[in-house]
Amino acid sequence: MGAAALPDSTLSAVKLLQHFGAEIIFKRRQTCCGQPAFNTGYPQETKQIALYNIALFADNDYPIVVPSGSCAGLMGKEYPELFAHDDAQTQQMVQRFCARILDVSQYLTNVLQAKLEDKGEPLKATFHVSCHALRVQHCVPNQKALLQALNNVEYVPLPYEEECCGFGGTFSVLEPEISNAMVSEKIKHIQETGVKVVIAADNGCILNISGALKKQGIEDIKVYALYDFILKRIMGETLNG
Amino acid sequence: MDKRAHRKLVHDNLENKQMRCNLSAAMHQLQQNRAALIAKKYVDWQGLRNHAKAVKNNALMDLPALVEMFEKNATQNGIKVHYASSAEDACAIVLAIAKEHQISSILKGKSMVSEEIGLNAYLQAHGVKAEESDLGELILQLSHDKPMHIVTPAVHRNRYEVGKIFASTLNVPETSDIQELNSIARTHLRQEFAHLKMGLSGVNFAIAEKGAMWLIENEGNGRMCTSSPDIHVALCGIEKIVRCFEDAAALIHLLTPSATGQFIPAYNNIISGPRREGELDGPREVHVVLLDHGRSFMLQDPDFYQALRCIRCGACMNFCPVFDNIGGHSYHSPYPGPIGTVVSPNYYGLKENGDMLTFCSLCGRCAEVCPEKIPLPDLIRKLRAKLAVNEPNLAQNASMKAFAKAAQSPRLWRFGMQHLHSFNGLIHAAGPHLPVLEGWAAYKELPQLKTDFYAALQQIPAVQIED
Repeated sequence: MGAAALPDSTLSAVKLLQHFGAEIIFKRRQTCCGQPAFNTGYPQETKQIALYNIALFADNDYPIVVPSGSCAGLMGKEYPELFAHDDAQTQQMVQRFCARILDVSQYLTNVLQAKLEDKGEPLKATFHVSCHALRVQHCVPNQKALLQALNNVEYVPLPYEEECCGFGGTFSVLEPEISNAMVSEKIKHIQETGVKVVIAADNGCILNISGALKKQGIEDIKVYALYDFILKRIMGETLNG
Repeated sequence: MDKRAHRKLVHDNLENKQMRCNLSAAMHQLQQNRAALIAKKYVDWQGLRNHAKAVKNNALMDLPALVEMFEKNATQNGIKVHYASSAEDACAIVLAIAKEHQISSILKGKSMVSEEIGLNAYLQAHGVKAEESDLGELILQLSHDKPMHIVTPAVHRNRYEVGKIFASTLNVPETSDIQELNSIARTHLRQEFAHLKMGLSGVNFAIAEKGAMWLIENEGNGRMCTSSPDIHVALCGIEKIVRCFEDAAALIHLLTPSATGQFIPAYNNIISGPRREGELDGPREVHVVLLDHGRSFMLQDPDFYQALRCIRCGACMNFCPVFDNIGGHSYHSPYPGPIGTVVSPNYYGLKENGDMLTFCSLCGRCAEVCPEKIPLPDLIRKLRAKLAVNEPNLAQNASMKAFAKAAQSPRLWRFGMQHLHSFNGLIHAAGPHLPVLEGWAAYKELPQLKTDFYAALQQIPAVQIED
């Protein structure tokens, strides 16, 4: 789904994976992991989507690399919960699929052991921790390691980084006023760092924080997708936006 | 609660800037206290969590037998055991004890079960005054307020506000000095304790093998309420029963660090019966009311039984980014925050409390800190699924079905993705008025959708695109 709102971050992830030696196969028929249905309380609908995805990727056993800790977390860690009452054979099939799921940052660091050569100008950046990357997919250390591997980027920790930015998928449209209170706290913490560049690795959080920044008329702080940012740094391209 | 009332409650609480400021400061302090204590004092916190989870699971699996064992041993100790299946039953039992002894005023130590069953209002309606002796609860009672939090009920009030409340209700000069405020409360409560005939308390752990009750507290009021009156009545949810002292001791090692970042509570009270022959003090009668109120129904559920492991430490709300913004009152239940979102619909019904299920962004922080490893976000999701069946929102059901259909239909999905840009104008013009997007658009810019993803992907050399 990130393809519609922030296509560049997914394209950049593909280019980075290639750059560090991965061969990419893109399944044209892929759609969504099913998170909106899962989180809103529609397990049967989510299960159908899970089965669709499992079948789609069943023709080989390559790793499935996902450009969002949240989608990866659902597909790799939470799908089994949907099949908890299914037969052993189905559960094994689900488990085999789940074992193949990795976040892009995990594949770049653990498998490709990417060595980043930073060609960008010196700058300060802070990092927004996405909840599902942190607590479901456990890939925040990998994401931070990539950012911190950039020599000319001074990483400034974000205070209260483990607090949710208020996106939460359908939460942000069902409880817009609470979501706004939460993102406003997040913006306050970002402003406390004095840093103008915020890096985040989940499109939902990026849309949420940057949408609120724009609406509040804060123009000097920009949010960049992690993989866009890294690609530009190692290619020596300037940041835009 | 209906949608309009829910929105208004949220809005009013979010507008209460003083409450949010007080709450946010307090929650951050409690978070730091917990982290600092665990880092300093505990070598295997995660191991202790696993043990605590097993202790409670074992107790729950054997609960009917443990309830009987507790009743037998408590009765042998001279404690009168009462059973209440509903909130009303529990209130009626307390009232009957008071009436039997012609008591018109009782003093309460902190008890969440008493809040759960609405005891104060019930007693008042039947001519019995119930006075709070916990400092936080006293502040609330004097200001006709409700608990904000299960452990620190008046956490939304700062010392200036407390000074004003005391000055206007207790006939004392206004002060914001914490020592002076404590002394005012102490003087006021000492007068109350002097006339005490019947005291009421909660229970942290009921020990089945010994028929005893373990109560922890920081102020000494709990000890006063349980040891100085003639009659002590303890209110106890059935899930508070554990097998033995060793089990309770393990749980206490998790409870106070999780709650306030304290290594041990200031007072440990173990109540094993009324005054015995030859003893000079202690109550002449001890009663315990064992409350079900939806718990045995939860116990039979393969998912929700897990919420009965809760030891009421409040860590889930201390760490909840929604709670810390909207405050406990938005939940319109004595149990707010993540655990409240799970237990309240189970105690009071989805119709009454189902609306609080949207108070969660599923960030997962509560489950990460819960000492009993209750999978709170999973249980909230499961309750959302239950709500979607029991109290269907037709528009939401339809949109989720449509979404699921599109997500299994690659052509439909791709068509949507490739043509979204043609809706940009429409979305930006109409978005603020569409039911799904109006909330977002009120506070955040809508994204400019792009549709060149598939085309751009094809431009990247050596990407194999397959069906």
